[in-house]
Amino acid sequence: MDEERLVDTFVELADTLIDDFDVIDFLHLLVDRCVELLDVDAAGLLLADQHGQLQVIASSNEQVRLLELFQVQNDQGPCLEAFVTGVSVSHVDLTTAGARWPYFASTAVEAGFRAVDALPMRLRSEVIGALNLFRVQVGALDRAALRTAQALVDVATIGLLQERLIHRQEILTQQLQAALNSRVVIEQAKGLIAERLGIDLDGAFAALRGYARGHNLKLSDVARTVIAGQTSTRDLLATPATLPDR
Amino acid sequence: MVVMVRRSGNNRLAQVRMWVAVLAANRGVPVSVRLLCETAVVRLGVTGAVVTVDMSTGWSETRCATDMLGERLAELQVTVGEGPCVDAARDGGPVLVADLDAPASQRRWPLFAPLAVESGVGALFALPLCVGAIRVGVLALHRVQAGGLEPATLADSLAFAAMGLGLLLDEQAGLRAGDFAEGLPLHDPRLHQATGMISAQLDVAMADAFVRLRARAFAEQRTLSELAADVVAGRLRFEPTGEMS
Repeated sequence: MDEERLVDTFVELADTLIDDFDVIDFLHLLVDRCVELLDVDAAGLLLADQHGQLQVIASSNEQVRLLELFQVQNDQGPCLEAFVTGVSVSHVDLTTAGARWPYFASTAVEAGFRAVDALPMRLRSEVIGALNLFRVQVGALDRAALRTAQALVDVATIGLLQERLIHRQEILTQQLQAALNSRVVIEQAKGLIAERLGIDLDGAFAALRGYARGHNLKLSDVARTVIAGQTSTRDLLATPATLPDR
Repeated sequence: MVVMVRRSGNNRLAQVRMWVAVLAANRGVPVSVRLLCETAVVRLGVTGAVVTVDMSTGWSETRCATDMLGERLAELQVTVGEGPCVDAARDGGPVLVADLDAPASQRRWPLFAPLAVESGVGALFALPLCVGAIRVGVLALHRVQAGGLEPATLADSLAFAAMGLGLLLDEQAGLRAGDFAEGLPLHDPRLHQATGMISAQLDVAMADAFVRLRARAFAEQRTLSELAADVVAGRLRFEPTGEMS
């Protein structure tokens, strides 16, 4: 594991929390860095809304997004289990998970995944969501990676809960509802961009995000301007693909 | 334990639908936005409820107000061009103002807040009715007394907003109120991705694309999720001409 990169990630997460906080941008950063640093192939994150119902907030790709949604819809899977019990869940060979999660296991295997870890986003007795880490190879995630994942999740959890402490319940509802709607705006923009540019949804998201980062804008704000026709889909691709990280 | 909380979340919307349905049955009229507002006043313990609808011109129009004060608050925000409802519609998240007379409120809406207080309102809670970039309207709840909503009341008011959104979307799609009873799969990202794709295929606004998708699902007696999955997978394209209007 690249330790310098890991330290950078913690600094980056902390920075995101301080200035103009955006739940979606923050959690996307988290899942991306998990994939980058932890030797996992995909990651997804769910947060509970004010009803206690889990919502898919961030995922490293489209396939995982659907897999997370599938867990919520079928009320079954590692993420739900981690959320409900508040403890980490691991299954090192999903082809043998049929008894534990009949629907989820077969869908995950079909999607090409063989191993999964789910970490609760928990502070003391409060569980606010869960992170899923997927791998295409059978086998356990090494201990160092798992500890790092837990540390990343803890930082994110404390960050989100701190938001809730500083502000009141009402502020939380306002933020989460706005974030959920922003999530929808982003999906609508992805569809629009994919269709206009003849690329797939992951490519559309990458273009959207590249532009947001390159111009230091929030993802959802760029999505809105694309839908309103204020940012042309062509401009999205004109952004350099790689940008210096701070 | 948490799972129970989760279920109760789903039950809130069912509960709200039932409240409104019971009122409709008692009066022998169909479920409507007006009945929803009246039920909200009783169940949420607010002074009044207002639903405004966003027009294609960018203005909002009052669809239903349970009292004069509510009507006045809606008009005022249109007139001065600012206020909690304006912000809620723009940002897509609720704007909950427990005390309009508080300095923070007065600073945030320097034109609206003093006039609102003057007309006798203490608290205003604006809940946007929207699906991503598709703005349908706003449900606004007001109280003469300042003070926040209790967590349970807040959760109920979100359920009222969810039902209001469903009613207005049905109306836009030309469906009868209640056709959405099985619920719109708004949690399914493919629904929104498909809407975005159709808006590009037909070169129409997101709202129109969504209406077309729903109308087609209804005409073909298929679920929205199925149809959306077909669009996202490229198995189904919407053509600009010769298609359903």
